[in-house]
Amino acid sequence: MTSAGRRLLHNDSPTPGTLPGSAPELLSEETVLEQARLLDITWRDGGGLWGWLTTVDHKLIARRYVVTAFLMFIAGGIEAAMMRLQLARPENTFLGPDRYNQIFTVHGTTMMFLFAVPIMTAMGLYLVPLMVGARSIAFPRLNAFGYYAYLVGVVFLYVSLFINMGPDAGWTAYVPLSGPQYSPGHRLDVWAQVVTFTEIAALCAAVNIIVTVFKLRAPGISLNRIPLFVWSQLVVSFMIVFAMPAVATASTLQLAADRALSTQWFNPAEGGDALLWQHIFWFFGHPEVYIIFLPGLGFISPIIETFCRRRVFGYLAIVLANITTGFFAFGLWVHHMFATPIPELGQSLFTAASLVIAIPTGVQIFCWLVTLLSGRPRLTTAMIFILGFFITFVNGGLTGVMVASVAFDKQVHDTFFVVAHFHYVLLGGAVMPLFAAFYYWFPKATGRLLDESLGKWHAWLFILGVNVAFFPMHILGLNGMPRRVYTYLASTGWGPLNALSTIGAVVVVISVALFVVNAAMSARVGRPAGANPWDSYGLEWATTSPPPNYNFVNTPIVLGRHPLWDTGSPLPVITGLRADRREVLVTTAFDAEPDYRHRQPNASIWPLFLALCMAEFWIGSIFTPWAVVGGFGLTLLGMLGWGWQSSRQIEVERVDTDLQIIDTV
Amino acid sequence: MSSASSSLVMLVGLLVTAGCERENHHFSEVPPTATPSASALVVSELQPGPATIAPKIDAPYDDNAYAVSEGKTLFTSMNCSGCHFEGGGGIGPALMDDEWIYGSEPQQIFASIAEGRPNGMPAWEYRLSTQQIWELVSFVRSLSSLNPKGARGGRDDHMMLKPPEVSTPKGKPKTASALPGTQH
Repeated sequence: MTSAGRRLLHNDSPTPGTLPGSAPELLSEETVLEQARLLDITWRDGGGLWGWLTTVDHKLIARRYVVTAFLMFIAGGIEAAMMRLQLARPENTFLGPDRYNQIFTVHGTTMMFLFAVPIMTAMGLYLVPLMVGARSIAFPRLNAFGYYAYLVGVVFLYVSLFINMGPDAGWTAYVPLSGPQYSPGHRLDVWAQVVTFTEIAALCAAVNIIVTVFKLRAPGISLNRIPLFVWSQLVVSFMIVFAMPAVATASTLQLAADRALSTQWFNPAEGGDALLWQHIFWFFGHPEVYIIFLPGLGFISPIIETFCRRRVFGYLAIVLANITTGFFAFGLWVHHMFATPIPELGQSLFTAASLVIAIPTGVQIFCWLVTLLSGRPRLTTAMIFILGFFITFVNGGLTGVMVASVAFDKQVHDTFFVVAHFHYVLLGGAVMPLFAAFYYWFPKATGRLLDESLGKWHAWLFILGVNVAFFPMHILGLNGMPRRVYTYLASTGWGPLNALSTIGAVVVVISVALFVVNAAMSARVGRPAGANPWDSYGLEWATTSPPPNYNFVNTPIVLGRHPLWDTGSPLPVITGLRADRREVLVTTAFDAEPDYRHRQPNASIWPLFLALCMAEFWIGSIFTPWAVVGGFGLTLLGMLGWGWQSSRQIEVERVDTDLQIIDTV
Repeated sequence: MSSASSSLVMLVGLLVTAGCERENHHFSEVPPTATPSASALVVSELQPGPATIAPKIDAPYDDNAYAVSEGKTLFTSMNCSGCHFEGGGGIGPALMDDEWIYGSEPQQIFASIAEGRPNGMPAWEYRLSTQQIWELVSFVRSLSSLNPKGARGGRDDHMMLKPPEVSTPKGKPKTASALPGTQH
């Protein structure tokens, strides 16, 4: 590293910089091609089924993650459609009460635990290393382990549902309903363990993203140049680290123990506390809402910037709004519990906190509005979804401010008004930006563009369907229709609005079906995208579509917040990472100066093995204590194998003078 | 791949057979074994003429967790605990020891509940449905762990007056040969 290079990287100006004056050398095309050939051999997985099972490539794992989570969205959507059919008219008999309870519980559990959080972290696992210019993710094997743990949860929940063992106490599993006396059998044990699997997966992803963002950024991406999507992923990952252990503790160590071992955590008669469950659950559950929609908000900035041909207004304000949201998200969980006897002082505090959190979100929305108004927006499918986000999410936010007030909340608590509110927030704040992100990054992942005309049908129908399905629920809730009921009498007068809501649900189903068709067709015969189909600015667009297994031939150097717009393509690069083994460049946390070359593990079967051992441990423990003994031994074996392999593979070398800044490729 | 999928199918099949009946919720139905016939209710071997072999009837809900828990709810709400206490006995006989005055077979317990017994046990067949009586039968049997473990209840959501049914050791019922009235 030259001293000029050091100076460059110390430059913390957010405006585009220039390379220092020292005459740069140029890399010849043959050198680059040879480097790419060697890298491909080094980073390639084994062939066949074994290679498929042992891969630790973050892009392959994240792609499976996204596909699995999207299948869960479809499964949860089918359950939602079944519920809407059941409620379409009074005293319907399409689903009985018992089946209905299982369906709505599995719908909520699927959407919150198996779709929303995993798909957001999966998008991060795919995009964050590309956006920060890294060869790979920080802990590739942990990443694979997280996915398999999640997959076990998915399979377990759905096998259970099909054998009539689906959980049936709501996705919040309130005690004492979910406790041993009122939920006999193993249905709620399934819920408790599925939650455990997904929390472990989320924690693996969060740790991975935090370390990737802090230590694997390409030279020049100082903290004030981190892409906004990466900021949102970083904030969310910290939230996961603080929130998920709460529910994993509550579900596994407390609820499952109460049920299987007759502990008394939630039994007031023996000194336990039923309200304790609600506190711990919502201490996780409320931040989870922000864990779901902060990445959604993170998708929006790059999409708006790209299609408005304008840098986002108020970068600093958006970053601070992200961090503030992440902070306040932990201070308002009690607003889910206003109907419980909590002290008035607490009610006031949590009302205030619930109102305050609307401010940072509002700041972000106004930043985007300014960006939109001062740019030249192109109405692509992604942008239509962003418009849908504005309409739907702002509506959900407004009802959110309404239910933050205790007096109002007590009127609508556990009614369809709340159902309408959180579906507006989640579909508007997370799912619509997610679809926008699919249209925007699909060409990066597959090399082909999604069809725009089908896409526009999908977008408009989806926005229309969501609003038709959920707006009537506001009125139904105000009219007193409680949530989680499997039917109602005709004399209540709720029939027509419920029928309208069901029509909206049908429209949503049609629009999502259009998307599935679009994705399946475009992945095969879509228009080839090229490296940068939208003429965007991020580092992920600097490599080919789909990216090679080593992501970048040489690590790029970043001179501003919008690398490809600031410097133009090709980007200046830094050379010196070895091509004959898997190495990543570790940089400093604040200024992203090159610090270490870190050797990364090769493909490994141990993540899958360990995930299966863990599955045996947790699932078996529902049925027999001997599974704990066996699972403990197996898990120990898996960890030994994993660690033994690590000690042979992982090395760290201090960066020496063989790293060089090269002006252009 | 095919061996993996076939073993998955086998696993699912195993789970179906193991999990299905335990998890079913039966609402207002006529149970598979309805009211036992009179010949099934014989408690004593002493009778005129040659010995008749009473057909054994399985309790329909012994392996159904929901029905057993419904039985527990009925046990409280019908005030069974008023005499039998939490199963340990008080005014009425204990239900969790190994002495069964009128027999421990499902149909014998059914008859005790439905028709009542001398010295205070009322007849419940005019107050409870056949299904509810069978639910009570399975709950009473679960007090001495005579039914499968997966269907037995966990700890109660009130004071711990006895170990949960799920961790009660299996009872050893004595042969139901004692004459009515000779026991306490």
